[in-house]
Amino acid sequence: MRKLISGAIYLLSGTLGVLAFIYPFFTSGAALAQHGAAHAQDAPLLTAGLVGLSVVALLVELQGRALSAKTVAMLGVLVAVTSVLRFLEVAFPMPGGFSPIFGPIIIAGYVFGGRFGFLMGTFTLLASGLVTGGIGPWLPYQMFTAGWAGLSAGWLGGASRWLREEFAGPALAKEEPRITPNVSHTDVIVLCGFGFVWGLLYGAIMNIYFWPFAVGPAAQTWEPGIGLGETLARYGVFYVVTSLAWDLARAAGNVVLLLALAKPMIKALHRFRRRFHFQVRGSHADLAEMESHA
Amino acid sequence: MLDARVWFIWALTTLVAASATRSPMYIIVLLLTTMVVGGTCAAGEGRRAPLSPLRFAMVAVPLSALFNALTVHLGDTVLLHLPSWIPLVGGAITLEAVTFGALNGLTLTVIFAAFSVFNQVTPVRDLIKLTPRAFHEGGVVLSIALTFIPQTTRSLQRIREAQAVRGHRVRGIRDWLPIVVPLLVSGLERAMGLAEAMVARGYGAVTSQKQPVRTQALIIVGLLTLLAGWLAYLFNAAWRAPAVAVIAAGAAAIGLAIWLTGRGVHHTVYRARSWTFGDSFALLGCAVTLAAAWRGRAALYYSPYPALTLPSFDPLMGMALLGLLVPAIVTVAREDAEMHRHRDGDQDHDSSSHQ
Repeated sequence: MRKLISGAIYLLSGTLGVLAFIYPFFTSGAALAQHGAAHAQDAPLLTAGLVGLSVVALLVELQGRALSAKTVAMLGVLVAVTSVLRFLEVAFPMPGGFSPIFGPIIIAGYVFGGRFGFLMGTFTLLASGLVTGGIGPWLPYQMFTAGWAGLSAGWLGGASRWLREEFAGPALAKEEPRITPNVSHTDVIVLCGFGFVWGLLYGAIMNIYFWPFAVGPAAQTWEPGIGLGETLARYGVFYVVTSLAWDLARAAGNVVLLLALAKPMIKALHRFRRRFHFQVRGSHADLAEMESHA
Repeated sequence: MLDARVWFIWALTTLVAASATRSPMYIIVLLLTTMVVGGTCAAGEGRRAPLSPLRFAMVAVPLSALFNALTVHLGDTVLLHLPSWIPLVGGAITLEAVTFGALNGLTLTVIFAAFSVFNQVTPVRDLIKLTPRAFHEGGVVLSIALTFIPQTTRSLQRIREAQAVRGHRVRGIRDWLPIVVPLLVSGLERAMGLAEAMVARGYGAVTSQKQPVRTQALIIVGLLTLLAGWLAYLFNAAWRAPAVAVIAAGAAAIGLAIWLTGRGVHHTVYRARSWTFGDSFALLGCAVTLAAAWRGRAALYYSPYPALTLPSFDPLMGMALLGLLVPAIVTVAREDAEMHRHRDGDQDHDSSSHQ
């Protein structure tokens, strides 16, 4: 039941966030056209509010289930390590939109699951924004998009584990249990592909939040009242002209980083995942019992 | 030092005012105001902005002017013609397009400068204190991360030095492997120690591990209401007013869920900061600017298209924008008062030592 409710929150928050980002693509324009320019200016502002609310709702659900001390400590330290990588990005400007923070976010989500990945993405952007002076109106969008990258990496990891158990189950059962799992070339290739897609997707999503406000040639800007096909075509032109080269550098950088780091990082994280499985038994119940005796 | 919440509202007000205008007069007023506030309030702070607003302007203004000139072929004053067979950029390059692009760059500079000041004057611990109680654990994660960043930076330095002693040189991306993996492993070892210490001190021992179903249900209701209101807003113009009310109801439901989640978290501070007259005064200044920007949208409007004209300037609007200057006035008044207090204290000390 709880899983169902949690799933519904993920789904609704995700739907609201996606719709808020991509609303110019699906409005028929009839409603917007009736209210003219004033309405067109209100809609993007309302969108910003909706994105904020959906990320807040998801955060309440994700961290409302009282994170354990282990998760809090591991998340804090991994966010610190990734934020230091962002220092490198600020200190030594890298080609185009390349940023070394996406590799660790994707790998952490892949190993520890979607919930951890989402929190890792949002907190990494927040912590590194705090220390590099990167707080601004763009930050909630960056947090949400990086959170999505981590969340979907968790789903990718889950799907990959399920596929392995489903198709290589008998073979795996014969093998000796290992402290660190084998990370196959296929895993690395899948992760590289995933990193490449998110390199482009991150830029494409981040563009959409300001695109409806953008001023430029008619062939590249959104106007109230244009249909889905026209909106897609105009956004495509805008994206190719202004962002594709920049985002390709990020996507290629993600691939190179994951190719080099994915295997050893996954092994290290898996080893610690097992070590972090210690449990303090009955702490809550024991305390209640002690209080009742007192 | 003003309250972190006041600084946040100040930065947001500057953002709203800057976004509402493209008139060079008002943009310059806003830019000067932001620079004066930055120079007065952020001068004594240890934190430096990674990029100064002046450097940002030197990149943003010409780039924005160039991009707009190449892609927008509107305006009467044609400077030159690019061959029309060049896709997207071919056509007339106009003075109006160059001006509008430069104004966009200036607006971006104002927004960047305002958030640079915010980043410089607000200590990180005050920013973490802004975290609502419902996100208490998020605040703990953030505190751990910010505490570990200097340690991790030192670790990175130590690992690099140790590898260099072994003859390791960083030439390509693969050469980072013997640095990044030990950095990650040493960080995780520290996380392990920290987690054990937190468990030993009873972290999370008295908190229920499950979110109450009531709160989850409230989040679902809030999200569904938001979604319904948003769709009604977009697709049916006649329902616009009720749709905004529905969206507000959804936001209220999510707000209630946050309040319910945060109710169980007890927050204590070692030294509470009290709200001062300066905070209220700065807030009043922001309110004046916001009200003027909202009511005087027509006065703030300026477009160089189709032909470049001199922008108008309303002195009352200019005065209202100076409401953003209040933090600088408060800081100067405080420094002045402190200087007088020190001087009086020194004079008392001198007179008592003479006696």
